[in-house]
Amino acid sequence: MAATTTSAPARSRRTHHATPPARSRRAARPRGGMRKRTGVDWLMLTFAVIAAIAIIAPFYLILVNSFKSPADYSNGGPLQLPSALYFDGIVAFWERVNFPEKVWNSFFISGMVAVLAVLISVLNAFAIGIGRVKGRSWIVLLFLLANLLPQEALLYPLYYMFKAVGLYNNVWSVIIVFTVIQAAFGTYLLASVYGTFPKEVLEAASIDGASRWQILWRVIFPISRPTLSVLVIFFFIWTWNEFLIPLTFLVSNENQTVPVAISMLQGDRLMDVTTTSASALLGLIPTLIFFLIFQRTLTRGITAGAVK
Amino acid sequence: MTAVPFVRPAKAKRTPLPPEEPLIPQRGGRGSGSYWLYLLPGFTLLTVIVIIPLGWNLFLTFTEWRGIKPPEFIGLDNWIQLFGDAKFWTSFGNSVWMIVAMVVVPTLVGLILAALLFDLVGRKFGGKTASFLRATYYLPQILPAAIAGIVIGWILRPQDGALNTILESIGLGALAHNWLGSPDTALVSLMVVLVWIQIGYPVVVFMAALQRVDPELYEAAELDGANWIQRFRAITVAIIRPEIYVVTLTCTIAALKVFGPVYVLTRGGPGTSTIVPAYYAYTEFFQSQQVGYGATIATALTIVIAIVSVLFIRAQNAAERKERAGL
Amino acid sequence: MARSTHTHTRRALAAVGALTAGALALAGCSGGAGDDADGDTLTLWHYEGANSAMGIAWAEAIKVFEEETGATVEFEEKSFEQIRSTASQVLNSDEAPDLMEFNKGNATAGLLASQGLLADISEAVEEYGWDDKLAPALQTTARYSEDGVMGTGSWYGVPNYGEFVTVYYNADAFAEAGLEIPTTYEEFTAVLDAFVAQGVTPLAEAGLEYPLGQLWYQLALSQADRGFVDDYQLYTGEVDWEGEEITYATETLADYVDAGYISPDVTGLKAEDAGVSFINGTAPIFVSGSWWYGRFGDEIDGFDWGLFPFPGADLSLGSSGNLWVVPERAANKDLAYEFIEITMRPEIQALIGNNGGLPVAADEADITDEKSLELIQAFNAINEKDGLSFYPDWPTPTFYDTLVAELQELVNGTKSALQVQQSLGAEYDSYVADFR
Repeated sequence: MAATTTSAPARSRRTHHATPPARSRRAARPRGGMRKRTGVDWLMLTFAVIAAIAIIAPFYLILVNSFKSPADYSNGGPLQLPSALYFDGIVAFWERVNFPEKVWNSFFISGMVAVLAVLISVLNAFAIGIGRVKGRSWIVLLFLLANLLPQEALLYPLYYMFKAVGLYNNVWSVIIVFTVIQAAFGTYLLASVYGTFPKEVLEAASIDGASRWQILWRVIFPISRPTLSVLVIFFFIWTWNEFLIPLTFLVSNENQTVPVAISMLQGDRLMDVTTTSASALLGLIPTLIFFLIFQRTLTRGITAGAVK
Repeated sequence: MTAVPFVRPAKAKRTPLPPEEPLIPQRGGRGSGSYWLYLLPGFTLLTVIVIIPLGWNLFLTFTEWRGIKPPEFIGLDNWIQLFGDAKFWTSFGNSVWMIVAMVVVPTLVGLILAALLFDLVGRKFGGKTASFLRATYYLPQILPAAIAGIVIGWILRPQDGALNTILESIGLGALAHNWLGSPDTALVSLMVVLVWIQIGYPVVVFMAALQRVDPELYEAAELDGANWIQRFRAITVAIIRPEIYVVTLTCTIAALKVFGPVYVLTRGGPGTSTIVPAYYAYTEFFQSQQVGYGATIATALTIVIAIVSVLFIRAQNAAERKERAGL
Repeated sequence: MARSTHTHTRRALAAVGALTAGALALAGCSGGAGDDADGDTLTLWHYEGANSAMGIAWAEAIKVFEEETGATVEFEEKSFEQIRSTASQVLNSDEAPDLMEFNKGNATAGLLASQGLLADISEAVEEYGWDDKLAPALQTTARYSEDGVMGTGSWYGVPNYGEFVTVYYNADAFAEAGLEIPTTYEEFTAVLDAFVAQGVTPLAEAGLEYPLGQLWYQLALSQADRGFVDDYQLYTGEVDWEGEEITYATETLADYVDAGYISPDVTGLKAEDAGVSFINGTAPIFVSGSWWYGRFGDEIDGFDWGLFPFPGADLSLGSSGNLWVVPERAANKDLAYEFIEITMRPEIQALIGNNGGLPVAADEADITDEKSLELIQAFNAINEKDGLSFYPDWPTPTFYDTLVAELQELVNGTKSALQVQQSLGAEYDSYVADFR
């Protein structure tokens, strides 16, 4: 139940601004003047670094508490370094919940959602942004409804529906639900992006005799790929951290995802803090890796834009 | 003196915006008909997963239901109860503060941080530094809410929490508070936590958007003598305005829907100082098992979010069309 | 450019293909979770940790069961959160297990029973004689009326263990301060004053979760009789929220804060924090439940500790532990009953007792662990007086949150004792009115 707010940069909009071709021949101009670092610059950097430290400090606490024995934690408190590195808790947890199975479940669900949601978003955005169907704003809003509705409101009706079609306790129920929820956002964003797609490119393709379907997949899809990669990563991370819907629809342990498995450590009255901390760390790693990949996509976008 | 009849000046005709046409030139008068086919998969899924439950919820608002046995029709009773429910109005009041914490502050600070990282740090200290800093700002976004709750608990604990310990060690012990347990500080503490969680998202989005800005514009402006603030307002904000719209709207929706952090940190307390509509709906759905009333709260929340979104999207579309028409 | 598009597209298609293959494989596995109506498998769920007393005993019970009946046990460990949030949905579907641990009380087991989701096991109880093994107070939480109120009606569950609230104390801290274990309430307050005089806040407490509410209730119980408990918990009569017992409890709690027995910071602390402050020696006294016992045994190594009953009170918080319930839609009810029978055997009960838990039907002679014996004897003593009085948050499904919120206001001073009592009473009355 992380605060899911999302948006993806409308990157292909950059093509909207015509840049004079003479720019690339400017290389001779000395750039030294822009590179000099003044005192103010260092001050700003320090400010940015301090902000980063403040934001990342709580993660240090997670790290410190993940390798403590429970006795150590109770006696020493959460702020102290562990007196001895302790792995029993996390090993026991790993085996108890069959953690690799949970990671695979989470990975599979998040991956499928990311791919399917992007596909649906592309189809919708094509019709809305490029096809300019009548009543576009209302259609976008209609799709956004999936995001506006609080999730608790969906649970009971979907429970009955999935039960009726036999999808209760099946990962596909969760995949379908999240595909719709994420695609809502994807449609909104991608429709705005496609709405400013350069007409010249489309006209050229059309003149070449391509059908709409071909234009979509041969022209629009590749050019907007940076935006789509961003969407894939966002959708993956958001779906990974979801708790309420997997909790409700994935009953058997073999279907469960990582966040649900971690909640196993919180009992009615007692709680295993250090193992929770360690398992949270484990659960963070895949999303962290995905985000780091995402970073490279973003930076690659810089050069791509410059070439145009 | 001849009386000059008052003649209302003719209303200036609004220059009509260009009609909306598909971006792919029409051939053979096919019209935009077949574009509807592309919407089919999305619409079908949406209807099943969202529209039907929405309708169901709407129906439930007129019933009393405990979840298993058939619902009992009670007309407008739930709605009447809702309008007189002080807790409900308090929760909406708190939503305004949630908006401050999740929209206003993150967007403004995010904008400045993004510009700082992109404009200054990126150019003068290298792209890698900027990327690294951006990653650290984004980290709270990938943390599951339950874990965030535990960690924040460690920091804000009254007796040996990190914050109070640090305050005491630098001599500011008098400022130490029972951050989450005292009604005076609970809401503010929650807001600070929300800013911490949210800040990465605008930074990432804006930094990506800033890549659209032609560096030449900055250089030209700098040569013309514009300082950083002026460049920021005239160029940066103007060009990434679409992203600003998107971020503001999505953050507002999230602020109105916020549930996770409230659940793990304060459970709406102390008293009702941090209760929010989504949490209130949850207690009705799952604890009291008053599904009808829970549905009423959820539907009311959805209506408010829908209205806000409609206003946003229309404003955004109008601005876009004006821009494209060169007005 | 076109070339790299093709390679990218191909790679993307390959990835989608792999995922789809994985999908089909997973769909294959996940479908077959609940088809075991063959009478050879028992699907069993519980949420006790593997190292807890119950976890150990039940693991042994599973072994015994598989040997004796030849059936296999499909055991899934669940999270409490999942069971609590989704029980009514799961039990209403094909995914319902054959036997499940579930929380006792009107708002939990009672609610499910009234919704028809739990099987009526009265016949099995008679057949196996479980009612002979359970003290009356322990039976109260196993039987529910049609409305889901405990105490009367059919049997819906069987508890294996019990729980109660007592006063844990730090023996070393007491010895250093020259204090004896208090046996009367005056001696108790004297002990608390002595600690305050030393500059120590004596009571570990938590205002964000259950502990503070439990202390409040214990104070009320010290002035109450069985009739009050019946009125409060079983809705047999009116509860006077401005009467003697509750006024005493609320005002005394406020006094405790003023006297320094409880820190005003408790409004920001969770049960975990309170327990930890006892474990690391910060607070010498902790009024809380037997569920901490095992953990204290594992983690306290700096001092000697023990427990004593709350002075001056015949009644004490406590009840049966969580129940074994058989869902109405269970496929193998007979196997479920056999398993319950095994868990009630002396050997299994002794396992619970020897590992820090509180068995309901163990022979004291079987208990070999001295520290555990201390706990069990305390529990039996209360049972002999018929002192188990359940928990303050049981009457309504939202009372837990309400109690937490109201007591927070009391400690913070934002509401007077009278106001708190009136708020609590209003919510209690509006819910209970349906049952009278």
